Amino acid sequence: MKYFPTFLFFAGLLSAQPYDLVLKGGHVIDPANSIDGVMDVAVTGDRIARVAAGIDAAGARKVLDVKGYYVTPGLIDLHAHECGYSGSIFPDDSALLAGTTTIVDAGGPGWRSFDDCKARVIDKAQTRVLVFLNIVGHGMLGPKIEDNVEDMDPQKTAAKIKENRDIIVGIKTAHFGRPGWAAIKNAIEAGRLADAPVMIDDKIFSNTGRTSREKLLDIMRPGDIQTHMFNDRQVEIVDRFTGKVQPYAVEARKRGVLFDLGHGAGSFLWPVASKAMAQGFPPDTISTDLHANSIMLPESDMPNCISKMMLLGMTLQDAIARSTVNPAKVIKRFPELGTLGEGRVADIAVFELREGVFAFKDAWHKKRLGSRKLECVLTVRGGKVAHDANGLGYPEWTSAGEYEVIE
Amino acid sequence: MRRGLLVLTLLAAPCGAQQIYDLLLKNGRVIDPKNQRNAVLDVAIAGGKIARVAQSIPAAHARVVVEAGDYYVTPGLIDIHAHFDAQGADLNLNPDHNALRFGVTTAVDAGSSGWKNFEAFKSNVIDKADTRLLAFLNIVGAGMYGAEVEDDVAQMDVDAAAAMARKYPEIIVGIKTAHYQPADWEAVDRAVKAAERSATVAMVDFHPKPGRGYRELILQHMRPGDIHTHFYGRLTPQLDAAKKVQPYMWEARKRGVLFDVGHGSGSFWFRIAAPAIQQGFLPDTISTDLHKDSVMLPRATLTNVMSKFLNLGMTLEQVIACVTANPARAIRRPELGALTEGGEADVAVLALDKGRFALLDSGHGKLTADKRIRCVLTVRAGKVVWDTEGLSLTDWKEAGPYSNFK
Repeated sequence: MKYFPTFLFFAGLLSAQPYDLVLKGGHVIDPANSIDGVMDVAVTGDRIARVAAGIDAAGARKVLDVKGYYVTPGLIDLHAHECGYSGSIFPDDSALLAGTTTIVDAGGPGWRSFDDCKARVIDKAQTRVLVFLNIVGHGMLGPKIEDNVEDMDPQKTAAKIKENRDIIVGIKTAHFGRPGWAAIKNAIEAGRLADAPVMIDDKIFSNTGRTSREKLLDIMRPGDIQTHMFNDRQVEIVDRFTGKVQPYAVEARKRGVLFDLGHGAGSFLWPVASKAMAQGFPPDTISTDLHANSIMLPESDMPNCISKMMLLGMTLQDAIARSTVNPAKVIKRFPELGTLGEGRVADIAVFELREGVFAFKDAWHKKRLGSRKLECVLTVRGGKVAHDANGLGYPEWTSAGEYEVIE
Repeated sequence: MRRGLLVLTLLAAPCGAQQIYDLLLKNGRVIDPKNQRNAVLDVAIAGGKIARVAQSIPAAHARVVVEAGDYYVTPGLIDIHAHFDAQGADLNLNPDHNALRFGVTTAVDAGSSGWKNFEAFKSNVIDKADTRLLAFLNIVGAGMYGAEVEDDVAQMDVDAAAAMARKYPEIIVGIKTAHYQPADWEAVDRAVKAAERSATVAMVDFHPKPGRGYRELILQHMRPGDIHTHFYGRLTPQLDAAKKVQPYMWEARKRGVLFDVGHGSGSFWFRIAAPAIQQGFLPDTISTDLHKDSVMLPRATLTNVMSKFLNLGMTLEQVIACVTANPARAIRRPELGALTEGGEADVAVLALDKGRFALLDSGHGKLTADKRIRCVLTVRAGKVVWDTEGLSLTDWKEAGPYSNFK
């Protein structure tokens, strides 16, 4: 008798706290939690409250019928460009519209320009923007600046990372056009000092005095990331004469070096990608290298990159893993990100998998027809609906009266 | 430089044999209101210009042929109200992927910058964009940077604004006034005066106040050719209590005042637009007021905004006129918004999708639509810049060795 009122009190609390948002009846793919089936997802405030079949949505502020759609953790795009580089594009109107809720700027700013990037873009975006800090202090400002070894300071780079752990997740080196290992070794030294991974975009020409083999087997550490893996110039994953995946690439993967897609305007080529995929060498992480060019003709946004991977034989489930939990782990943000785990931040993407005939373009604008295309129909960022292509959350205007702006 | 290109073209001509066109759009239904075209025609492009619009132009005469039989081919669309000063105030967007992907080849920034910061906008954004960016110069010297500057009459220097507009006549098409809250006519009158002195037009975003009424604005303060934007918004009384279009709207239209949609986050409501359209009060120009908010919810891209008007009963030809010939006339750029032979080759290829679509207004009320306009291909100055269905692109199997790989 003594406990009865207490029980009532807690029961009352539970029923008095209805969900803010329930996504009902979608096919949830949440690789981090081994979920792959029809379930509901409930959100309270900015957090995932529950993922289960048949959640009682009575009293929920907003219930969206997502039957027929796929529901996944908000995608994490490990390689894109938001600031500090001339082709940068503001993330919300490119990322959130594509289901990407976390976007990682790959080396736009360096330690000198990070604060400016933070103030102008990162703090103002609704998308979560994280950063690989360029090893070049001035960042990705063209060949003259990016080839300047004098401006590659591992100490200052590491110090900036330590001051901004909430945003900076690693170091980037890119476009180094001079011979030798200075850029890569400085980046890795900064990575060692800051205990952070390094993402490498490297030019391999005959006169650089560097080879992919040495880089992947001797210089990169386990956990470092080779991006642009399906390019044919920056890292030769597939032997250009035999068409076979290079043994040193397989060995590098075994020792923990990571391979990232980084599609972009030059780094996803059908002849390379299809050979590597056919031989079982997929990207660890699917990423876009989204910028002003790659968003146009190649359409390298995340749903398109995933569709292209599916065209080359990857399952949707596997592709979602490589776009959520995998990148979260690479940047050491798992389990905060890349999961629909209860209590985690409510970043959610809803996709339609369309069937038909679709053209997919590689970085050199060559097309390949496919029969399935993933399209983002709804994005939730921090519990808030940021994008709703099909108006799932809104009433017909004819029956809504003299409405104000409907949240 | 121009001459050099011409010589190169002449030298190259014999090698190309019969291939005298760079690009040929075949069998599309061409809607080109300026030239009174609405028929299945081919559009041939050479050297960045429209070379020919005619029936049955031989495919063998072009290097690249796009089969456009399933689509509508229109002049590149013109959006006369957008916010693309991407390096300026926070709400502005990057232009190209928010314009070209939706068939917009000419976008007019509606007053993001004023005479003090227009030149920064020009060098940081306009000169670098693939989209043809034009501008309404804000009458406020510092541009659209919040109430503190936008309500400050001291910022509204008619001579300085007019001088800047005269300095860049190829880019600045008019003067904008917006968001002005004090209950006087200073902002409107100064914008109109600056437009007069620069021989351009004024675009007015108007918040009525006691003693500063809408009727007076459109009947007395605005000149014929000046543009009221946001005219389906909730701020201005365009309908009476019975939802009938006010007589002064018709009167203003008769005297030549233009009415622009300027959709945005607050200025397009189905409950206002639907009855107005039903009574025949159509927009002169359809535009987006695209910025960081309106690009998300309600997703006010130009093709989406056009789709709303199509589903509210306007014909496709009327809708196309409102984004091509009409805006070109409004900003006094008659050479734009048309597929005229010899003119710059800006072209949009549009699909009219049938199905079930949702279109939201500024209040997020939903119109469940059965048709939607979607841009599949955009040509800007003769170059294919958007091609979502790969209509102009080679299949990888037929591309030969195009990388280091066979």
